[in-house]
Amino acid sequence: MAGFNFDLCKRNSFLESKGVKAPGYTKTGTTIAGVIFKDGVVLGADTRSTAGSTVADKNCEKIHFIAPNIYCCGAGTAADTENVTGMVASQLDLHRYATGRESRVVTAMTLLKSHLFRYQGHVSAALVLGGVDFRGPHLFTVYPHGSTDSLPYCTMGSGSLAAMAVFESGYKDNMSRDEAVSLVDRAIQAGIWNDLGSGSNVDICIITKGKVDYLRNYKYFMDKTYVRKFPVCYPPGTTTVVREKMVALKDVDVIEGEASEAMVID
Amino acid sequence: MGESQYSFSLTTFSPSGKLVQIEYALNAVSAGATSLGIKATNGVVIATEKKLRTTLVDETTVQKISLLTPNVGVAYSGMGPDSRVLVRKARKSAQAYYRLYKESIPVAQLVRETAAVMQEFTQSGGVRPFGVSLLMAGYDENGPQLYQIDPSGSYFAWKASAIGKNMTNAKTFLEKRYSDDMELEDAIHTALLTLKEGFEGQISGENIEVAVVGEDGKFRVLTPAEVSDYLEEVE
Amino acid sequence: MSIFEYNGSAIIGMAGKECVAIGSDLRFGVQFQTLATDYQKIYRIHDKLYLGLAGLGTDAQTLAARFKFKHNMYKLREERDIRPSTFGQLVSSTLYEKRFGPYFCSPVVAGLDKDNVPYLCGMDTIGAIETAKDFMVAGTAPDSLYGMCESMFRPDLEPEELFEVLSQCLLAGTDRDALSGWGAIVHVITKDKTNSRTLKGRMD
Repeated sequence: MAGFNFDLCKRNSFLESKGVKAPGYTKTGTTIAGVIFKDGVVLGADTRSTAGSTVADKNCEKIHFIAPNIYCCGAGTAADTENVTGMVASQLDLHRYATGRESRVVTAMTLLKSHLFRYQGHVSAALVLGGVDFRGPHLFTVYPHGSTDSLPYCTMGSGSLAAMAVFESGYKDNMSRDEAVSLVDRAIQAGIWNDLGSGSNVDICIITKGKVDYLRNYKYFMDKTYVRKFPVCYPPGTTTVVREKMVALKDVDVIEGEASEAMVID
Repeated sequence: MGESQYSFSLTTFSPSGKLVQIEYALNAVSAGATSLGIKATNGVVIATEKKLRTTLVDETTVQKISLLTPNVGVAYSGMGPDSRVLVRKARKSAQAYYRLYKESIPVAQLVRETAAVMQEFTQSGGVRPFGVSLLMAGYDENGPQLYQIDPSGSYFAWKASAIGKNMTNAKTFLEKRYSDDMELEDAIHTALLTLKEGFEGQISGENIEVAVVGEDGKFRVLTPAEVSDYLEEVE
Repeated sequence: MSIFEYNGSAIIGMAGKECVAIGSDLRFGVQFQTLATDYQKIYRIHDKLYLGLAGLGTDAQTLAARFKFKHNMYKLREERDIRPSTFGQLVSSTLYEKRFGPYFCSPVVAGLDKDNVPYLCGMDTIGAIETAKDFMVAGTAPDSLYGMCESMFRPDLEPEELFEVLSQCLLAGTDRDALSGWGAIVHVITKDKTNSRTLKGRMD
């Protein structure tokens, strides 16, 4: 897995040497956080992704599935967090088939860090990994270079400072589920309102022994602050059409006998 | 694979056009424990004998039916170790498909990929064909499906089929019993009756393995207790 | 200069009620020199699936050919047309493979899924998918396209009005971009037909 292809590297660095800039990637500026509570782990994330200073997606999902008992929040380059978590989820799935046992959080953490370390920080994923296995609840942060921390509460992303401020003032050992959810919610909101890289809604994921509650858009702040009373309506014919080509679709999908035609690249 | 020029394929045509290695592989299958599968209107059942050479083996550790994806599973007749290689490869290609399309692999595609592996081992250097036939059962967008894959890499879709030691008798039995409007519960009963017909000794929940996949798309190996209950029903 | 500004492009995808539309400008240029005004940036994958490729022209053409190939192979293997959401993931996987030496293209996928539910998604150059229920933009002036769409889009538009809204967003959006414009083409996909209309736009 993760076989990267480097064919275009030479060309791209040549272009760069000529002063042509490569486009930026979609980032999840992000506030992500997690805490351990009495019976498990609560993970939280905002839902904004950015391309430069433009908001690319107002309601993206940053809490990724790793295993039925493990989830992972991702910050950094969106494509990297998506793919690195997907890859580890896949490896763990195979591992579960082979062993017939529930995945352990440390296994996920080790797979993540060894991949990230191998790429020396170029795969830029900053993660908060949480789950419950037979040893109980676990929470880790994984840094893009492959280092990890095991903590009772942690934050990541551009809004991590805002969120950590909330955790530092509000964290207690052995919190109840509701206390933990409310604490994470407040931490994420601290990021949403105070960090420009984070925004929109709060996603929460509560993992306890044998149960996961994924509360997508636990808090929804995305509605527009105004709605036009009289929306602009363009009556048909507003746009000047020079040429029109209508293709009616056949009812039957012909699959055979199209081969030669299908090979034509138009 | 092999570095020497002598690592040519073991599977070479005989002058009459036969590939005897493949026939020998089929012999290995025919010597193996009987497995069978029935496709019903709302699901598939596969069942296999799990007879052990000696009572000293801990039979709870022996698994003959394996899950490949949540909705596809496989039973084999023939050489156990060979089947595990195929199971591992099939699981991996199912994951690769999912990583590419974020969609679970259709049963037919998984069958094709697995069959391609088996074919490769009839033509490559330094290897021998797999000594197993597989019964692959699954439920996807195209409904319930049952496939058989042979050591040559050829595969067929079946309404009901049997492989292994007692396949001829079992198939005759299935031909008589099968009907197109059969439901899963009926199919389980028929599967058990067929298996029982050719079974040497006393059939029980411990010495056979039964798995089902229904409309919920969850392939599930039944527990010995569940199998015993079904066995009581057919008696 | 950003590599996106080498050729120039503008693409909008927009979802309606049981229909979806995708449109692009028609300019092909090399920096400020316009070379052609009939350059299509949207590729038909099958009857109900279109792919828009904004960015560097050479990479767009390479990718279009690769995706055509991949879809042909898929169709031969699986004996069915690829679903738009599946195709979106395929595009993403293909782009992420080149994580450290990417194609300079950002795709927009627009299609009708089962039961004619519109599917719309866009990506950055390394395949970070964002799915959208409303609209998706890509090109040299995404901000002005976003601005137009944010204010003009309404949910559940019928095909004819969807066409008008998308066209107006595209034409107005590209008016503030020197590198795109010079006419446009808009494809509207409905359950029983596709309608491709070439628009009159400013030629400056």
